[in-house]
Order: sequence, then structure tokens, then C-alpha cells
Amino acid sequence: MLAGLSNWLDDRIGHRRLLHDALYEPVPGGARWRYVWGSTLVFVFVTQMITGFFLWTAYSPSTITAWESVYFIQHELSYGWLVRGIHHFAAQAMMILLGLHFLQVVIDGAYRAPREVNFWLGLILMQIVLGLSLTGYLLPWDQKGYYATQVATNIAGVTPGFGPEIQQMAQGGTGYGHHTLTRFFALHAGLLPVLLLVFMTAHIAVFRRHGLHVPHRFLAKPAEMFWPDQVLRDAIACLAVLATILYFAITRGAELSGPADPSEAYSAARPEWYFLFLFRFLKFEAIDAMGLDVGAIYIPGALMGIIALMPIIGRWKLGHRFNVAYTLGLLGGAAYLTVLALSEDKANIDYQAAVAEAHRDGQRAVELAQAEGIPAQGALSLLKQDPFTQGPRIFARACSSCHHYNGHDGTGRIVLVTTGKGHDLVSTPVEPTAADLGNFGSREWMSDILVNYHEVFAPVKNIVDGEQKPGERFLTGDMASWSTDNKEALTKNPEDLKALVEFLAQQGARPDAGEIDAPLALKGQEIFTGGMLKSGDALSSACTDCHTMKLPNAEEFLSENSGSGVPTLEGYGGAIWLRRFIENPGHADFYGENNLMPVFAAKLTPDQLDLLVRWMVGDYIPTKQTIHVPAVASGGGH
Amino acid sequence: MSHESPSSSIPEAPPPRRNFLAAAAAVATGAVVALTPLAAGLAFFLDPLLKRRPSMRGADAEGYLPVANLTELPDDGTPLRFALSADKLDAWNLFRNQTIGTVYLRKLAGQVIAFNDTCPHLGCKVDYKAATQTFFCPCHASSFKLDGERENLIPPRGMDTLEVKVDLENRVWVKYENFQRGVAAKEVI
Repeated sequence: MLAGLSNWLDDRIGHRRLLHDALYEPVPGGARWRYVWGSTLVFVFVTQMITGFFLWTAYSPSTITAWESVYFIQHELSYGWLVRGIHHFAAQAMMILLGLHFLQVVIDGAYRAPREVNFWLGLILMQIVLGLSLTGYLLPWDQKGYYATQVATNIAGVTPGFGPEIQQMAQGGTGYGHHTLTRFFALHAGLLPVLLLVFMTAHIAVFRRHGLHVPHRFLAKPAEMFWPDQVLRDAIACLAVLATILYFAITRGAELSGPADPSEAYSAARPEWYFLFLFRFLKFEAIDAMGLDVGAIYIPGALMGIIALMPIIGRWKLGHRFNVAYTLGLLGGAAYLTVLALSEDKANIDYQAAVAEAHRDGQRAVELAQAEGIPAQGALSLLKQDPFTQGPRIFARACSSCHHYNGHDGTGRIVLVTTGKGHDLVSTPVEPTAADLGNFGSREWMSDILVNYHEVFAPVKNIVDGEQKPGERFLTGDMASWSTDNKEALTKNPEDLKALVEFLAQQGARPDAGEIDAPLALKGQEIFTGGMLKSGDALSSACTDCHTMKLPNAEEFLSENSGSGVPTLEGYGGAIWLRRFIENPGHADFYGENNLMPVFAAKLTPDQLDLLVRWMVGDYIPTKQTIHVPAVASGGGH
Repeated sequence: MSHESPSSSIPEAPPPRRNFLAAAAAVATGAVVALTPLAAGLAFFLDPLLKRRPSMRGADAEGYLPVANLTELPDDGTPLRFALSADKLDAWNLFRNQTIGTVYLRKLAGQVIAFNDTCPHLGCKVDYKAATQTFFCPCHASSFKLDGERENLIPPRGMDTLEVKVDLENRVWVKYENFQRGVAAKEVI
């Protein structure tokens, strides 16, 4: 039955002949592992066609839907992470296999007559694959892809003669927008794969015409058939490639950094690893001095041109040796530059902090999208309105020149001051001149204010005004003395200290305060107003002797001492207290004339102030992200 | 079957058993490498069948949305069309306060009847014709009586009624659902 059908079909389409021709190609010298590279490339390309098609069914190319649809693929759709992971890592595998295939062709001298044209076809295929990588990198419209591709299109913009025209055609305008994505997508999923198919077909057809290039030393050995000996080796090699791709797709996954934000500097911008050597090459001063067109277009163009001439160079006596040496030299140089770039980045604390921030933004955008859905204007707006994302940035800009935050500037960067000129810049850490606010308003903070006041405010010693050290007034003032006088009594009665801390932590009604132990807080209130500890010891004075205090929702003040330069503790550490304090710390309710902090009412917009305060009191959608100074390899920051 | 000899020497045939094993291994390995990406892709493509996602947010615990006030409905039982408003979920997007559907409400002896105004035939919107006191679908001329029963046999079933509740403030709530079109049974989709 089946045989009958096969006969019927063969009479009409002749598939047996086709199959026979495809499979029963003799391999002179026998099947070998060294011939597998071409087949693995075909396999990876087919894999890209398949996974690419399925990603296409869920991808939406526009500036307000690209990141969003990729997020949905990666985190919501069934097996989306797997399909995207395969596509992502197969693209990288393709670059490696391309390199190996090329290397093998050069070393074996397979570019020589009569295979010159096929060598050139291969080079064209290489350019198409590079084009696919470049266009694909932008499509998720995340910070990483956005800024890396900016570099590429700007390089295109310095092409001699008609650079700006090329750049604007690629971008679909003078800048990036919807049409950059639609154009890149049309190239990535439309034109380039078709070109690749056409040239790959030609490459294989010409390859079949000349057969495998078999190095002389194998020719004496008996020939074998392509099927099944070579096919089996090819299939096993493909399996190894697939296993590697799956390994990375499953253990690492394709990254998605935060949604592209043209208004946010992105100091973690780097191309994909296989373009890192070019990136590092352009950073050499000598190359930079020659101009971007020389470094990014003429020199790489000339190097590529020599590769294209290999079949001709190879005719000369020492030509083949030159070609091999040249290829190994190029690869060695590229490898060196790649390692150089990676090791420099590893030791660069600014870069590491930027990478950590980019990673955090990416994860955070996902958290926000999952928590509240993405509005019509896109996921970027979620990050823009998120206190956890914006608060640290505002703190770094507005506060970190005096205050630190757990030792950093809020975003995980060490606060540095840079001195020197040109290439002799020296960055040194800046000493803070005000309290570290990393735990402001927490129970730990309350406790430290009571018993470690000097430690908390030690940085004010660094304020220098000519001969004067105005900060000293905070370290010799009433609260400083109170802390010294009562430290022993309070630490000897930890339950009382805990009660007092609980009472203070209750005042701010902070979202990050957790559950308040009300009976404990009530005990704390008694100490706060009476100044008597349970053990019978008396504090040097009660808190209400100096501080203004009103309990939440109370009508009457517990104590009123306004205008004395002693901050009110009404709502202490909470959003309202903090906002008023930042707006005008010299207000009579706060430090009054003792104040040394600038007035921020006019320096921050109401929105910025709101984001900053909400971040500091923990009023945001919960996050799994943490902000800290990244660990770096020895060498320190640049 | 004719076969052109290749220009180079014809290789010696390897032992048949070894050849068969190699062929079987090649086919098996080839199948694994080709089918893995395809299988992952197909599983991805089947997502709509694997995961059910809500299409809106904002209904009460039982799935009802407020739609109108009892006083807005005429006492003579004339149907009126009302829009339902809720947060619309569409893949990654959440669109706030969108019209997610429209329904016909009728008040009869104090009771409220709600119809989904989507034609159970092929999903066009059904209109109420005051002149004939019928619901009429402009696409394929499905016609329904005021109580939702079919007037002709074009639609496979009568108009789809929706569950209704009226709260103490006389607000009418509707549990908005859509049903599979083109079949006689009323099945929620």
C-alpha cells in the first residue's frame, strides 16, 4: 500500500532520484568529523527559522509594545522562555559555528580553485548572519539592545558620502521610533532570512558541484558514502550544538533588561560579546584619533577585503600560509580585544553598578507588569512612576553629595569625586557630611538615634566652612548629650529601649514598618512622656521635655515645643514628616536655626519629592530586588 | 532505477549490518535535533489552549458588573442596550475603564432579564427593532422574539440570557459572559 503510493508519487515528482542524489554522494577519504560545520550551520539556521516563526506569532513591533510583547513571551506565555532562549542562544551558536567553519575552510585551503566563488558566497552568508544578529538585538526594545544598536546605526551614519541617508533609512527617520522597529523587524524576519536561504542554497549547490574539499593526506583512504556515515556524524554534531543551546537556554535564559528609555543614560551599553572586540578596538586612543569612519568602517572593511581576496592570494607560493597566519592573527587579535574588554569591565565598578542597575530595572519592570498590568502607554511608564526605581536615582542626584545610603549613593554606586584632566582622571570616594539614610525611619534607626547618636551623625564633622566646623553643633547639642547620658540606662534595660523604639516606629505609619506591637508601643509612650524606666531608673529628661509630639489621629498635642530647633516627632519618619522635612528642614517644626541642610522645596518637583519619599518609607509594590555596591575584580573604579 | 556514477571512485559498500545501524542512528538523531525546536515552538503556539487568561478585571467576587439602575428601565418591558465597563486585559496590557461588552436589559413585572447582544449564530451584534418588537441580526437575518426565543431557524439557539442581580440600591448587576457561537448548546467560552 505504502510502496504503491510511493511509486505513484515517484512517477509524478521523482522524489527518489532527488533523495538519492542528495544522499549518495561519495565522500573521498571517508566520512570525517571535520566536515560537520556546514551541516551544523544549516541546522542552526533551520532552528532559527522555526523558533523565529513562533516568536513572530507573539511579537509586536512598536515602541510601546515591543518590550511588552517580549516580556509576555518570556514570562507569561507557555514555554515562551524556552523558545526565546533557544532563539537567543542559537544566534550566538551560529556566530561560533560560522567562525569554526571559516577557520576550517582557510586551514584546509578549501577556498582555492575551483571553489573561489563558493568561498565568496560563504562570505556573503557571513554578512547576512551578522545583519540578522544586529537587527535581532534591537527587537526586544530593551535598554541593552536600544543603546547597542544606537552605536551601530551611528557608525552607519559616518559612512563616507551618504552616511546620514543610510542611517535615516535604517532608522525610518532622524531618530529611533516605531519605524525603526518595523524596519528592523521586516529585515530580520523578512528580507535577511530569504537572502540567507537563497545564498545558502547557492552555497550548497556549488558545494555539491565540487564535492568536499578533502585534504591530500586523507585521499588514500577508502571513500565512503555521504549517507549514512557522514550524515550520522553531522547529526551527532547537531545534537551536541542543540544540547549546548538548550543548556544555556535552560540554565541562563535570554535576558531582557528594562524597557528602552531614550531619556535615561545607559552606562552599561555594550554590544553582544561577538562584537566586543570591535567595541574595544574603537576605544583605543590612536584609533579614536583617526576618526570614527576610519576605525569603524575603513579598517574593518580593509580587513574583510583581504579575507575576500584569499582565493587570489592563495595562488602565490606562500599565499596559503599568509592566509592561515592572517586568519589566526585576526582571531587572536579579536580574542585579545575581547578578553581585554571583559577584564576592564570586570574591574570597572561604575560599569558593574550600571549593569546591576540595568538588571534590576529589567526585573523590576517585570514585577510591576505582573503586579498591575501594563498601561496603554507602555511599560516604561511603570518604571517612571515607581518609587523603588526612581527614588534611588533622585537620591543619588539630589542627596548623595551629603548623605549616603548604606554607604552608596542610593543606586549602588560609590560616591566619587573626579579630579584631573583628560586621560589622567582620578576618582576618589567622597566622605559624607550628613547621616547615612540607608535605614532611616526603621527600628534600627530609632534605636541608634537614642543610644548611638554620635555614630549616626558623625559625618557632620566633615562639614567645613572656612575655619569653622558648623556640624559640631549637632554633636554637642542637647540630643547628643541626652544620648550619651542615657545610653547606659537604656542598654541595661533592653525591654524599655525596645518599647521606646516600637513607640517611635509607630508614629510614621510607614508601609515598611511591619506589624506594630501596640501594647509594647504603649509602654514606650509612657517612657517617652514620663522619662521613667521600668527598673525605676529615671532618664535625664523625658522626650516630651524638648520635642513636640502629637499621636496619630489625636486631637491634642502630647507636648508642644515648636520653634526650639528640636524636630517635632509627630508622624516621625513617615511620609508626611519626611516630605515636610526635605521641603524645608529649617522650618520651626524641625531644625529651625540649627539647620544646615538646603531647602529642597524648589529643587525637586512635587513628583520627584513624592517618588523619593515613597521610596524612603517603603511605599511601593514589593520587590525581590536589592540595591548594593557590586563586587568587582581588583583594580577598583576608573 | 538508473544511477549516474560519480566522477570519483565508487566507495565500497560497508557491511550491511553496520550500514543499517549507522542509518538508524542518523535518522534517530536527526529526528531529535529537528523535532526539539519544533516541539518547543508548537507547545508555545498552543498557549491559548494551555492557559486560560481572564479578559477583564473589576467584577465583584461572583463575576457581576454594575450596568444600570432599575429606574432607567421602562416599565413596559421595552429592551434597552447598556454598555458594561471594566478594566480590559489584553495579553500584556491592562486598559482601565473600557467598554468590554453590551447587553440588552428588559424589566418585566419588577424582574430584570439580560441578553448578551451577540448573535448566537455567528457573532454579529443583534439590534432591537421597535417596529416589529423583535431582535434582528443584520448579518444573516437571525430574528428573535422579545423573550429571546428564535423567530426563524437561522440561529442555532435563542438569544443568550445572562445572570442578573439587583442590589438594595436598585442597581442592576450582570454576570457578563460570552458563549460559543454557531452551536445549539449554550457553552461559556
